[in-house]
Amino acid sequence: MSTARAAAILLTKELRLEFRTRELLNTTIIFAMVVVVLFSFAFNPTPEESRRYGPGLLWIAFLFAGSLMLHPSFAREQSNQTLDALRMAPVSTFAILLGKMLANFIFLSLAEVVLVPVFAVLYNVSLAGVIGRLILVLVLGTLGLVITGTVFSAVSAHARMRELLLPLLLLPILAPLLIAAVEATVSLLADEPVLDRTWTTFLAGFDIVFLSASWLLCDFLLEE
Amino acid sequence: MKTRIAGTVVVAALVIFAGYAALYIAPDERTMHEIQRIFYFHVPSWITSFTAFTVVCLANVAYLLTRQQRWDSLGVAAAEVGVIGCTIGLLTGPLWARPVWGVWWTWDARLTTTFILWLLYVSYLLLRGLLEDPERRATLSAVFGIFAYLDVPLVYVSNRLWRTQHPQPVILGGQGSGLNPTMARVLLLCVVAVFGIMIPLLLDRYRLECLRHELDELRLAVEARSTNSDSALSPATGKDRS
Amino acid sequence: MKNFSFLFTAWIAVWVIFFGYQVSIANRLTKLRDEVERLKQQLGR
Repeated sequence: MSTARAAAILLTKELRLEFRTRELLNTTIIFAMVVVVLFSFAFNPTPEESRRYGPGLLWIAFLFAGSLMLHPSFAREQSNQTLDALRMAPVSTFAILLGKMLANFIFLSLAEVVLVPVFAVLYNVSLAGVIGRLILVLVLGTLGLVITGTVFSAVSAHARMRELLLPLLLLPILAPLLIAAVEATVSLLADEPVLDRTWTTFLAGFDIVFLSASWLLCDFLLEE
Repeated sequence: MKTRIAGTVVVAALVIFAGYAALYIAPDERTMHEIQRIFYFHVPSWITSFTAFTVVCLANVAYLLTRQQRWDSLGVAAAEVGVIGCTIGLLTGPLWARPVWGVWWTWDARLTTTFILWLLYVSYLLLRGLLEDPERRATLSAVFGIFAYLDVPLVYVSNRLWRTQHPQPVILGGQGSGLNPTMARVLLLCVVAVFGIMIPLLLDRYRLECLRHELDELRLAVEARSTNSDSALSPATGKDRS
Repeated sequence: MKNFSFLFTAWIAVWVIFFGYQVSIANRLTKLRDEVERLKQQLGR
C-alpha cells in the first residue's frame, strides 16, 4: 500500500475516533480561550498594547494548547496496544506518523478557526484584507508545531511524566517557530499589512527541515 | 596512571599560564577595563560547549546507525559537558553585563540563543532520566538529540534576524571584529586551556557511563547464575543474592 | 581594579563548577569500579 494511501486511511481513522466524542477538540479550544482571557487579566492591555502583544499571545495560546493536545495522540494507542497492530500492518512507519500528523494538524486548525475570530473580537484587531495571508502564516506555523509535536509525543510516550515532558521537549525546539510566526503575524496586523517574506520563508524552511528529519528517523520512533 | 599524572600536570600548567595571560598579559580594554577579562573564559566555554553539542549529534547518528552502546555513552557524556560549558557561559555573561551595561540580562541574539541551547540539552538529559528501558532510552534520546541539533542553526538564524530588526543596547563592541592581536593570542591560549579541561572531563564521564553498563551486565550475569543454581535444586546460599 | 568583585565571582564560579563536576565523576568512578570488581569476583567463583 502506498504511503499516501495508508496515511489517508489512518487519518480517517483518527478523525472518526476523535469526532465520536470531540473531547480533545473541545478541551483544546476552551483551554486556548482561557489563556487568551487570562492574558487580559494579567496585563490589562490598552488597545495599543493589544495590537503590539496580541500576535505573541495568540501564538503562545496555540503553542500551549497544541502541546497539551498532542500528548493523547500516542497515549491512546498505548492503552489499547493498537500500536502493535499498526506496526504489523503492511504500512510504512512514515505513513503511521504522517496519518497522525495530519490528524493533529486538522484538530489544531479547527481550534484556530474558532480562536482567531474570538481573538480578533476580544482585542479589537481587524482581520479585513489579511485573511488569506494570515491563513498562510497560520498553516505554516501549525504545520511546524504539529510535525515536531507528533514526533515528540512518540518520543515521550514511553517516558515517565509524559504529560510534562512533551511541552518541556517541544517548547525549546519551537522557539524559532514562535519568533517567526509572531513576527510574520505582527507585520500582517500592522497599519500597513505586509506579508513578511523573510519570516514566511523561514517558517516554510523550518517545516521542511523537520518533516525531512521525521521521515529519515521515523523507523526509530515506532520501534518495539 | 603515569600518563594521567603527566596529563594533569600539563593541563594544570596550561590553565595557570592561561589565567595569568588573561589577567596580566592581555592588554587593557579601552572602555570596559578589567571586567572585559571575563571574555577570556566566557568565549572559550561557549566554544567548547558548542563543540560538545556537535559531538552529541554525531554520537546520536552513530548510535542509530550502529546500535553500539558506546555511542550512546559518548552522547550523554558530551551532553553533560556541553551543558556545563553552557551554564558557565550563561553565568559569566550576566556577570560581565551587569557592570558594563547596568543590567543583568538582555535579550540580545547571542544570549538568547545560548539560553535556548541550554534548555534544549537540559531537556535531552531530563528525557534520558525519564526513560527507563536502556535500549529505548538510547534510541529515543538519539532521535531527540538529532532534532535538537538541527534546531540550533534555526535558533541562531531566527534570533539574528529578530534582533537586527529591533534597536539594541550596546553590542559587545570589538568582539571578534578587529581584535587586537595580543588579545587574539591570549584568547586562543584560553580556548586551548579550556579544551584541555573539558576533554579529560568528557573522557572520564564516558568511562563512567561505559562502566555503568558493564555493571548492569555483570548484575544480570550474577542474577542469572543465582536463578540457575536455584533451578538446579542446590541449596541457595544467602551470599548469591545481590 | 575596577569591578573586581564581578571578575572574581566569575572566576570562582567557573572553578567551583568545574571542580564540582570533576569530583562527582571521580567519586562515582571509584564507587562503580569497586562494585564491578566485587561482582567480577563473585562470578569468578
